[in-house]
Amino acid sequence: MALKDVKPTRSELINLKKRIKLSERGYNILKMKRDGLILEFFKVLEEAKKSKSELNDNYEKALKTIAVANTVEGAIRVKAAAMAVKENPQITLNQKNIMGVVVPEIESSAVKKDIVQRGYGVLGSSAVVDETAEAFEELVDSIIRAAEIETTMKRLLDEIESTKRRVNALEFKVIPELSEARDFIKMRLDEMERDELVRLKKIRAKAQAK
Amino acid sequence: MEIAVIGNSEFILGFRLAGIQKTFAAENSDALAELVTKVMDDAEVGILVMNGEDMAKLPLRMRTTLSDSVKPTVIAIGGEEGGLSIRERIKRSVGVDLWK
Repeated sequence: MALKDVKPTRSELINLKKRIKLSERGYNILKMKRDGLILEFFKVLEEAKKSKSELNDNYEKALKTIAVANTVEGAIRVKAAAMAVKENPQITLNQKNIMGVVVPEIESSAVKKDIVQRGYGVLGSSAVVDETAEAFEELVDSIIRAAEIETTMKRLLDEIESTKRRVNALEFKVIPELSEARDFIKMRLDEMERDELVRLKKIRAKAQAK
Repeated sequence: MEIAVIGNSEFILGFRLAGIQKTFAAENSDALAELVTKVMDDAEVGILVMNGEDMAKLPLRMRTTLSDSVKPTVIAIGGEEGGLSIRERIKRSVGVDLWK
């Protein structure tokens, strides 16, 4: 707010004081929210690092085994085995609320199966296919874990950023400007009061001189 | 709910082997965007798995929607997923590089 827009009146001063109080209260609450979010973030951080590296390891492993399976068995037989798998991993997705940030909470039924459950037959396929299936089951397992943690972290980070922006805007822009306007009005009001006093004195002096 | 996988046919083959039924093959980026929109509207999908490189091919707006989406939750594996990496995001939000 530019100072020239401020009307130096008493009601404006009262309004400004109210707004400053409100901004300060908002500032304090937002600051607490920011600190709380950062605490939550630190809780997730370690887990996220672990799950991410686990995910990458499992992915590389899975890629390697499927390359081997494609070479040994031939792409078509691997595909045939893949088409035969019937068991479908089921997950339950819930939503959790961390300080206004909606994050997913995922639970899963058993992803890992033994050879018989997979459904492509024990005799028709070789051990390489089994290994590949196992590697990918492990990968899916770590995907389920990582999906929850990673999304939680991304959303927390976004919220931290916007809260931080708001806190800083209040601290460095809104509150200083409002206080400046308040001081300006106070000064003008005092000035006007002194003007009035001097004027009164002069009038009185004139009246007494007569 | 189920897991869905979108990617090239090589990428999705392994996931089929792990028992995932909702695997969709997308060979070019137009088909990719179309499939992603379709899967995002599917109420039965809980997690959407994509390849990081495919994710980077999507338009920016879609990528933002994907990374903010909770239902379904989207995860990219392997390769950079385009846009800001998690490390960059942490640096920007917290101010310190904590991803080491």
